[in-house]
Amino acid sequence: MKFSLRRLFSGVLAVSLIGGAAGLLCSCRRGFGADAEGKVKVVATIFPVYDFAKRIGGDHVSVKMLIPAGTEPHEWEPSTNDMLMLEEADLFVYSGAGMEPWAEDVLGSVQNKDLVALEASKGIALLKTEEVHDMEDDHEDDHEDEHDEDGHEHHHGMYDPHVWLSPKHAEAEMEAIAEALIAIDEENADYYRKNLEEAKKSCEELDSAFREGLKPYEGGYIVVAHEAYGYLCREYGLKQIGIEGVSADQEPDAARMREIIDKVGEYGIKCIFFEELVDPKVAQTIADEAGCRTMALSPLDGLSKDDIDAGRDYFSVMQDNLKALVSSFE
Amino acid sequence: MPLIFQYEYMQRALFVGLLLSVIVACLGTVMVHKRLSLIGDALSHSSLAGVALGLLLGFNPIVGAMAVCIVSALSIEAIRKKLGNHSELAVAIVMSTGIGLAGVLSGFVRSSADFNSFLFGSIVAISGFEARLVMILSVIVLLAFVLLYKELFYISFDEQAAAISGVPVGFVNAVFTILTAVTVSIAARTVGALIISSLLVVPVAAAMGIAKSYKTTVLWAIFVSTVSTVGGLTLSFYFGLKPGGTIVLLSVVFFLLFRVIGYLREKHSVKKGA
Repeated sequence: MKFSLRRLFSGVLAVSLIGGAAGLLCSCRRGFGADAEGKVKVVATIFPVYDFAKRIGGDHVSVKMLIPAGTEPHEWEPSTNDMLMLEEADLFVYSGAGMEPWAEDVLGSVQNKDLVALEASKGIALLKTEEVHDMEDDHEDDHEDEHDEDGHEHHHGMYDPHVWLSPKHAEAEMEAIAEALIAIDEENADYYRKNLEEAKKSCEELDSAFREGLKPYEGGYIVVAHEAYGYLCREYGLKQIGIEGVSADQEPDAARMREIIDKVGEYGIKCIFFEELVDPKVAQTIADEAGCRTMALSPLDGLSKDDIDAGRDYFSVMQDNLKALVSSFE
Repeated sequence: MPLIFQYEYMQRALFVGLLLSVIVACLGTVMVHKRLSLIGDALSHSSLAGVALGLLLGFNPIVGAMAVCIVSALSIEAIRKKLGNHSELAVAIVMSTGIGLAGVLSGFVRSSADFNSFLFGSIVAISGFEARLVMILSVIVLLAFVLLYKELFYISFDEQAAAISGVPVGFVNAVFTILTAVTVSIAARTVGALIISSLLVVPVAAAMGIAKSYKTTVLWAIFVSTVSTVGGLTLSFYFGLKPGGTIVLLSVVFFLLFRVIGYLREKHSVKKGA
């Protein structure tokens, strides 16, 4: 008995050592490769800004996504290797408004003097988190359009950071990225402008698809895993009921679950949305209790590796979201 | 019927919570007497490594969590015997190994969605499958505890003396080590790691404040953990508090209360004696 225990334990130890070594090898491979030579090196934090930077920069940029695919960005922090990548980069794009609370610390400790930092959401009329929360409870109109005009520092958690879920704001983020790229790489300004024009057109198409698709359901309720859809709801006249607040990392309490179950019955809601990167267990429990179904709705803050490998982008995921939203009302 | 019983998720939370708080109090009594009160933390961290291992090697992560938990618990048992006076180091070492392993292995898991769905447990979101699993587990743990009660009593009193008087110490220890490991790996996923690692310890610590024998320690521990669980869930339901934290804090209130009662009683009896 004693002997086999010792063997089991050393087995655990051996696995952990091998795992550690493999981890080190793997992490060395990150960073800009040789094919990034002569291109603008961009580090983008999360999927939306990564996708936008690739779309605008095209062949003239090499874009790296800081937060690996399939990771929930709320729970991520940069590693030393990520810092090395930033030392090499020309442009750092983050969405901002509190999405990446570590961004300012990271920028403060990077030595790279030529690094341009861009907060892509700057200038967008941000929703305060308490407004997002208010929106579900009927008295939505009185202070919705307030925003921080003087652009003072955003405190973590003060604003809803998921701006890209409104195609109009996505367009604004792309514009900001295009401007930054043009300032760094003037030679290719026309190329970036052309890409921006195309992207803007796609945004407008997406916007009108949402507007038309959701028009019959104006004022309707959606139940979502966390309250990420404030901008989308503001744009298209929906109301969101979040199982959790604006940040995704809280455990629900029993009273909140009862409240949601009651509202689902009261408003005749037919579907509970969950997120692919968050455990659907709570959504499933509520759906079972209230007798409705569950569907995936992506807040796009992180896409799974499979989705990225399959070439999914902002527009295709948003189209899927639209389909899911429409079918939830049918 | 009161509002709290009208919702199926609350019925399930109360039912599973009660079952777990009974068996966890029993297991906790054994573990605390063995001075392994942090074993719950160590095992729940190790179970993360098991989940990652399962996802990476393509077998069921719950099985992975259970397997790694059992290996960790047996390792704690093995190291504990070697270290004598410093037996609490065994828990720390295995916990570090578990955390380290989970950290490294989770780097290879492709999607955090898969990972999260096996880590996250909330007492207000329990599936039917999990409820059945807890029921089976509870029957096994209670049976083992009742059948081996006398042996456990001897071992917790004096392990060496028990061995000399013919108690199969190794066997009994192994059984309860494995049962604790399985309970933690299942319960961490079902009601959350916080509840399980706290309820292994705090109710027993509270019970020791007033109980005079092994038997009353077990009974008071069961009392504290069940009342904390039901009370915590009720408070969460009516006042919107987080269930896990509320349950744990209630058990700490019992700990303080029982210590004060124990102290007053002792003072009283000293006076009477004098």
